[in-house]
Amino acid sequence: MSNDTRQFGDLATQLVMESRRSTQTDSLLKYNDSLVRALIREQRDLEKAAEALEAGMDELQAYHSHRVERLRDLYWAVGGALPHILNNQDIRSKLSPHEVDYLRQYNSFVMEFRSEFSHELDITASITNPPKDLNVLVHVVKNCGVIQTELGSIDFQKGQRFMVRRADIEHLIVQGYLEEVS
Amino acid sequence: MASASASAHTSTRARLPSAAPDIYIPEDEESLVSQLTKHWLNERHAPDILPAQEELLASLLDYIRRQSDAVQLLRGQPSASEEEHIRIMLVQMEVERVKFIVRSYVRTRLYKIEKFARFIMGDATIQTRLTTAERTHAQKHAELTDAHFYNSVLQSLPETQSHLDDTPIFMPPMITKPDESRPVFVHALRDCPPIRFHEDLTLEMKRGHISLMPYSFIEQLLLRGDVELI
Repeated sequence: MSNDTRQFGDLATQLVMESRRSTQTDSLLKYNDSLVRALIREQRDLEKAAEALEAGMDELQAYHSHRVERLRDLYWAVGGALPHILNNQDIRSKLSPHEVDYLRQYNSFVMEFRSEFSHELDITASITNPPKDLNVLVHVVKNCGVIQTELGSIDFQKGQRFMVRRADIEHLIVQGYLEEVS
Repeated sequence: MASASASAHTSTRARLPSAAPDIYIPEDEESLVSQLTKHWLNERHAPDILPAQEELLASLLDYIRRQSDAVQLLRGQPSASEEEHIRIMLVQMEVERVKFIVRSYVRTRLYKIEKFARFIMGDATIQTRLTTAERTHAQKHAELTDAHFYNSVLQSLPETQSHLDDTPIFMPPMITKPDESRPVFVHALRDCPPIRFHEDLTLEMKRGHISLMPYSFIEQLLLRGDVELI
């Protein structure tokens, strides 16, 4: 805005004062052209400010929608393993505290939706490649501790290789603990 | 994919006739799978959310549950013969394939439901196309996204801006909704009634015809099953 220290509304007050002075002195004062023009200019500025306000709100919203969409993509890319995202310092440092809250809530909603199918399948498992073989030979890249599989529990230690049922460990491949040996 | 597994299935039966009748891949299950595959592809290509296939999905979930239970049971028997092991393996493969399609279908819908959550909450028509669980998820997700925006931005603004026009809760001006004008590839499954683009331009798709056009023109044909999206 051009008039910096003056508050919006000051000009309007001056115009009111003009009328009051006219009544008090019972006289017709000269038409205050400059004041009227200044006030019209101010109205135009306010109009622009209101537009800017609306545009700013749109931008803020677009930015936040875009980010939560990215967060959801990230979440599904690791098969819904929230700790995997939150414990990753690189990712974590890029999130606002509200975004961390968002992800936690989102995760709980997805888990609730998933429970609809809990007797039949895990809807958060991978959908990138259709199943080829039941079993897969994997190489352990990072220790991931004891995992329950169809063959019983297996302690996956770095450097070891296992032949396991794909469905049991698919999420560990997605999260980068295991690698498929081709 | 469907034809390959169908032939695998026929040969399985031919080789292993009647040994264990509890576990097999029945013909009608195969057709349910191909039906859901079609719905999944339609869902993937349609900009809008299509009517939920609740019955079909329920039948396939039943199928997965029964087959998984049967496999568990048979695996528990130490006396299983070599032939039975092969049989179990084939059934497991088949179950994994069905799971994959069910999962892909459910997730495709979930993705769209989240994207359009706010729009869904304000549109009664689209709500009728969702399952109860999907509707609940849409509502929670819409509220979550609003709350996130409120916490991140609005609560730091003066009240006059966060409560525009006396609305108690700020209504975001931008609500993402399905883009019905998006072009889609359609494949006519049977001869279709003419589609009118404008006054002197109509198109009559014969069975097998493939065409590219805005989704809105073929929406009704798709819902009637006259066409599929590819």
